[in-house]
Amino acid sequence: MDSNKQPTAMKKTTNFLLSLYHNQYLRFVLFGLLLACLPQLAKMKLIKTGVVTTMAQILIYAIAALGLNLLLGYSGLISLGTAGFMGLGAYVAAYFYGDLQLSFWIALLAAVAIPTLIGTLVGLTSLRISGFYLAIATLCVSEILLKTFQQATDLTGGTSGKNISYPVIFDIAFKRDTMYLLLVVALVLVMMLTWNLVNGQFGRAMHAMRGSEVAAQAMGVSLLKYRLLVFAIATAYAGLSGALYVFFVKGTYPTTWVLNLSLNILAAVVIGGVRSIYGTVLGVFVVWGVSDLFLNNIPFFRQNPQISFIVNGVLIILVVMFYPNGLGKLPSDLKAGLSRLLGGRKKPGIPNKEER
Amino acid sequence: MQNNEITRDSLLSTETYVLRIENLSMHFGGLKAVDDLSFHVNRNEIFGLIGPNGAGKTTVFNCITQFYTPTRGNVFFTTDASRLQKGGDPSRQETLNLVGIPVHKIISLGLVRTFQNVEVIKELSLIDNVLIGGHIDFKANVFEQALKLPRARREEKAMREKALEALDFFDIADRKDMLAGGQPYGVLKKVELARTLLCKPKLVIMDEPAAGLNDSETDGLTQNIRKIRDAYNCSILLVEHDMGLVMNVCDRICAISFGRFLACDVPEKIRTNKIVQEAYLGEEE
Amino acid sequence: MSTILQLIFRSLETCSIYALAALGIIIIYRTSLITHFAQGSMAMFNTFVVTWFFTSFSMPLWASVLAGIISAIFTGFLVDFLVIRHTKKVSPVGKQIITLGLIIVFLGLAPMFFGVATLQLPRFIPSGEVVVGGAAISYNAILNISLGLVIMLVLFYVLHKTKLGLAIRATASNEQTARLMGVPTQSVTMMAWAVAGVLGVLSGVMIAPATSVSVWLMNPVQISALFACVLGGFQTFYGPVLGAYILGIARNFLTYYVSSVWGEQIMYILLLIFLLFRPNGIVGKKYSKKV
Repeated sequence: MDSNKQPTAMKKTTNFLLSLYHNQYLRFVLFGLLLACLPQLAKMKLIKTGVVTTMAQILIYAIAALGLNLLLGYSGLISLGTAGFMGLGAYVAAYFYGDLQLSFWIALLAAVAIPTLIGTLVGLTSLRISGFYLAIATLCVSEILLKTFQQATDLTGGTSGKNISYPVIFDIAFKRDTMYLLLVVALVLVMMLTWNLVNGQFGRAMHAMRGSEVAAQAMGVSLLKYRLLVFAIATAYAGLSGALYVFFVKGTYPTTWVLNLSLNILAAVVIGGVRSIYGTVLGVFVVWGVSDLFLNNIPFFRQNPQISFIVNGVLIILVVMFYPNGLGKLPSDLKAGLSRLLGGRKKPGIPNKEER
Repeated sequence: MQNNEITRDSLLSTETYVLRIENLSMHFGGLKAVDDLSFHVNRNEIFGLIGPNGAGKTTVFNCITQFYTPTRGNVFFTTDASRLQKGGDPSRQETLNLVGIPVHKIISLGLVRTFQNVEVIKELSLIDNVLIGGHIDFKANVFEQALKLPRARREEKAMREKALEALDFFDIADRKDMLAGGQPYGVLKKVELARTLLCKPKLVIMDEPAAGLNDSETDGLTQNIRKIRDAYNCSILLVEHDMGLVMNVCDRICAISFGRFLACDVPEKIRTNKIVQEAYLGEEE
Repeated sequence: MSTILQLIFRSLETCSIYALAALGIIIIYRTSLITHFAQGSMAMFNTFVVTWFFTSFSMPLWASVLAGIISAIFTGFLVDFLVIRHTKKVSPVGKQIITLGLIIVFLGLAPMFFGVATLQLPRFIPSGEVVVGGAAISYNAILNISLGLVIMLVLFYVLHKTKLGLAIRATASNEQTARLMGVPTQSVTMMAWAVAGVLGVLSGVMIAPATSVSVWLMNPVQISALFACVLGGFQTFYGPVLGAYILGIARNFLTYYVSSVWGEQIMYILLLIFLLFRPNGIVGKKYSKKV
């Protein structure tokens, strides 16, 4: 787009604005600012406070979903252990912060590190064999973890769960609204990190592996190393998500971390769109937000809460069968369809950075 | 068919070869896909490996790049000492046996390959596809990449420039930001070649590079193969069906059939070689 | 001695259940190349059907089971007809995800039709046991064990000695070639889904009296069955059965002699370690991949 003409001041400003518009990080920040407005809107009674709670839940799950998206979308591996590792993160955070009285940051770090470590061990055993064993191994690990949450009563409080208070960070006592802001910040940071990862050497290696394992190896990509790495990252995100959950909800019970949650997060990733950051967040919104915010106002859906769950399952199947790129691809597909309708043929092969 | 000429030849030229295959055999159950094959590729040479369908060319290929571990035999590869150990003298040459080296380590020795049916990632831009070839030269770890720390940013920038150069080398730099999906086949072939150049190769192995190209594109390929050899100072091993291309571009050619050595010589001699002709036309007598 | 015998008796019953479920998974894997994660939830759904007929209509147990089998055949057909048949172009990962979607659907459908209350299903033979070498085994367990064995034998006979079995094995080894050779692969695949459904509901009905009929009924069975397949290798039909028996016996011995709470977990960890050394399972063959 560069021309040889002397850029005028006017042009300079537009170019600057354009570059701002195209700046991914700025977009993430803007996205975060929009989300951060919600508690304010609730205070002004424009929306119900329940909306903020639902949104907080969405932000938390979105972090785990972004991790699963890295795993599923980029390396084609399936983990059914998302809920288990989230739960592990939650219990570790609760134990370190509540029982051991350690600082928020140490609890958070442990809640990320311990699941990552266990995840890496599981990955090491199963990924050496074949990619598709990971799903079976993680399914098993999540059952083991769930049993542990129920039975290791000394550490987890058993079926009656574990309760903590809102955290104190840098001598500031957090409350519900400030915790919500922390969630927004965390999600925006995770989105940025993910963006950096997928657009660098790591992301290219992932793409290469998905395209052809043989070609990837010939280019020097060690399959085991990168599969393990991406699984470790997914587990770390799950741990973080679980820790944030426990600090926002102020407690954790074994019944939260069941297979349904893993499947719902998988649904969010598939429906929202593999390899799409905004798509993943959108997917989480579709899975949790739509039923909580809209459908529950309709008596039929309130009486049959299973419907929205079933719809998630049906959506997964439909998306995989007919629209494998998910809802995240919808805007650009619509744009392409529209421009084709209007007669202006879109040149093929123009990259669209934000789709990735 | 033990060939004395070849053995003598390789003994004489130990100092100049980049690749030497020695008594290579690859058996799949009872099938001898490659049977006691020996040949070598000299430094700065364009070498062709030809043979009729099912001759075992691709198997030889996979044995060299360690996708298969050969049943018997050795694959010697000569490369810069600096690639073998840190701080090695880049001008000194050392020889090692490739057999048993993990397949993803091969490229770091300076041995890189292309694929019969181009393996590019449709969802990535051309330049990103080329950048995959620079994978092993990134030192920044995942944390540095996630946080975009200085080293990660520096490496990415430097590698991007190199990738752009490589694309420019094949005159497709203007398409760098276009997605690979939807690009013509000829362009994708060039992308694959450009990708091999990013690792500063000692030897480029091309698996049927002319497959799917039309005549004018094949001519372009001939020039490009020479250009790569001259500009990057490397050897090239072609595994090819298209006799025109092989006869045109290769310095020497090795012909095989049913996994066995037939002849190894300059193109003119191979063209007139009785045994090779028979193998191609079928033994009708 | 009698303790060991007792443990083995108790194991054999669960082994049968795991083996049936594992066979269901492997039949689907061999004919549709799908890791069938929804085997358990489909079985759960159909076990609910059995329980529903039994409790709501007071039908005799055998009639309820028959109704469950019909429902299993029907759901198997339906899943194949509506979904699996149209996934030829879907990647293997996509197919796995589809079966995960199916889990969600069945997990959601069951409480909608049958309510959220957990139900009970009695044994076929309510009481009575024989004592062999100091160890007791209930008539019902003997029934389950022998039923399992009979079904497996019939299945192996069909697979290896009949034309239908040949068609199934041909489809399993290469769907496309089989189709070109005139094997009606579409019907074979549909049959396989129905058979898997029946195997599932039978394993469900067998396990149900030991616990209660809830949406989580089949979770342990599903995991054990998947691991039986992993342990026995996905390449043969008899491997997973073997895996199921090893798994079932190992579990009971570990929970009895090592730890009643953590025995199962220890077994899974041992299994993962075992796989490090024999990645393709006990009777698995190594694939040679073509480059």
